[in-house]
Amino acid sequence: MTPLRLALWLLAVCGVAAWQLTVIPQSLMQMTVGPVLAPAAIVAGLTLVALVYGLSAWRGHQVDLSQEAGQEALPGSTTRLLSLLAGGLVFITLVIPLGFVLPAALCGMCIARAFDAPLNAKSALICGLIATVFWVVFARLLGVGLGPALPFWV
Amino acid sequence: MEAFDALMGGFAIALQPTTLMWGFIGCFVGTLVGVLPGIGPALTIALLLPLTYHVPATSMFVMFAGIYYGAAYGGSTTSILLNTPGESAAVVTALEGNKMARRGRAGQALATAAIGSFIAGTIGTLALTFFAPLVVDAALAFGPAEYFSLMVLSLVAVSAVLGNSMLRGLVALSLGLLLGMIGVDLQTGQPRFTFGRPELLDGIEVTVAAVGLFAVGEAMYLAWQGRESKGGEVMKLSGSLWMSKKDWGRSWKAWFRGAFYGFPIGAMPAGGAELPTLLSYYTEKKLSKHPEEFGHGAIEGVAGPEAANNAAAAGVLMPLLTLGIPTSATAAIMLSAFEGYGIQTGPQLFSQQGGLVWTLIASLYIGNVILLVLNLPLVSLWVKLLKIPPPWLYAGIIVISTAGVYGAGNSVFNVGLLFVFGLLGYLMRRFDFPAAPLIVGLILAPMAEQSMRQALTISQGEWSTFFTRPLSGSLMAVSLLLLVAPALWQRLRARPAP
Repeated sequence: MTPLRLALWLLAVCGVAAWQLTVIPQSLMQMTVGPVLAPAAIVAGLTLVALVYGLSAWRGHQVDLSQEAGQEALPGSTTRLLSLLAGGLVFITLVIPLGFVLPAALCGMCIARAFDAPLNAKSALICGLIATVFWVVFARLLGVGLGPALPFWV
Repeated sequence: MEAFDALMGGFAIALQPTTLMWGFIGCFVGTLVGVLPGIGPALTIALLLPLTYHVPATSMFVMFAGIYYGAAYGGSTTSILLNTPGESAAVVTALEGNKMARRGRAGQALATAAIGSFIAGTIGTLALTFFAPLVVDAALAFGPAEYFSLMVLSLVAVSAVLGNSMLRGLVALSLGLLLGMIGVDLQTGQPRFTFGRPELLDGIEVTVAAVGLFAVGEAMYLAWQGRESKGGEVMKLSGSLWMSKKDWGRSWKAWFRGAFYGFPIGAMPAGGAELPTLLSYYTEKKLSKHPEEFGHGAIEGVAGPEAANNAAAAGVLMPLLTLGIPTSATAAIMLSAFEGYGIQTGPQLFSQQGGLVWTLIASLYIGNVILLVLNLPLVSLWVKLLKIPPPWLYAGIIVISTAGVYGAGNSVFNVGLLFVFGLLGYLMRRFDFPAAPLIVGLILAPMAEQSMRQALTISQGEWSTFFTRPLSGSLMAVSLLLLVAPALWQRLRARPAP
């Protein structure tokens, strides 16, 4: 990814937003400002600043902090990023059938893996402990609805 | 006098054991998040928002205030001992504080930071106590046109003045405004930008956006970089926590000067805490009898900026409580918390929720004392926290973030959105886009649209109302100036001298 590619992504977002503007239903109410005006102005503004950003990036005036000395990504960056995203995916997939603690522990293990911790029993133990403590504090003590701790929890 | 009586009423509630306990928890958690890199007060308050349905409003806002002040205190510890500021306003503290620690004077650096924070926090709170009612009186004259113009000023200021690039600030702001438009239009009932998904009809939850950008985004960036697991060097807690007579002599003026920079600048829409800390640092450098020590560990260079930072934290509460305008990400999240309780912010907050506001202000005084007690004697505990290995620290942060978002509505869709915002946060971090304009834009977009519609209905569709009403016109002019002046100034400076 470079600033120029980011600008192209931004312009794609503007395109999608502009398409969504066309599907906003017209209001039957008589009013000075309808439901489209403010979103349209915002999409126009975003398109303008995205274009200026793209132009500036094309001229090489925009920064990528990871290119600065001492800030470059170390080898394996994509794997680490994917590992972190996998943590989120695991939680989303398993939280309804398995309750909170197991998916949260697995999610924690993936996050720890993204920070170079090995996938082993120690990691499982620590992440399991973190998930259990959070469930007890949030769900039991503070009454936040996190669902059951485990699938067979009564 | 009226303010004083109301404040005393606030103290009566704030000193009740339950309220005091929430204040203490807030200060403790605030210091903790200030110390830990990667977590800030905005994220913490956003994570705790789901609790707002279970705890009374007064207790919750007293805790939030404690978190807010505590984070400002705690940030100095990381700056001094790790040379890694826990929050952006503590960057200047790291310049001299870490050098002092390297010279074996970490204890004195932490002491001047904590005492300065206490003094400046108290001065800032005093100013808030006595100036806030005056601002409320002035704000009662505001109509929808003035409110719209004020929001425009706030949005422009947060995007154009703060951060490293006005262009990137404006991109972040526009994205935030666009995200704020998602959901059902409250006036006409028409869905906007929902892609036919019922989950988006209520709009994007501020908690999801803030936690995704700040927690997941930061973790993604650090994981992608792969340098965090190598760890930083934590300095030993060397030197006594007692300051010598000479240290006191060199610190006290810097504390007061820092406080007088911090509060007024923090209270401005474009203020923030970064500018006053920088101004304080350069003032101390200019006025010091030991300018040669700057860059090598000058105590004034820690005392002044830390005081400015804490006074600015009080200043930021001024537009939030009196006008309902957030000027920082944390203030934006607090505004969202007010909305969560169904409390209308703005000048009427003081009349309709006087008890809550004055208890909150009273708790700031008490919080300052709690923080002074918490920070110095417990400093070795905070140092231990800095040694938590990054894999477990970030596993904890992401699991608590996921739990917070999931717990708010048992929605896996929102958890998915959390990681999408995380990716956005990663990109913003990598390409140096500020996150605050996005959050402020997200929250203010529907409010600004509503004010605009009301103003145009009153003026029977006359757009000139925003420019012809004196106050509204002045606010618009200042916004325009903020947009244009930096570019003009840069162009003038670039022009070669004749």
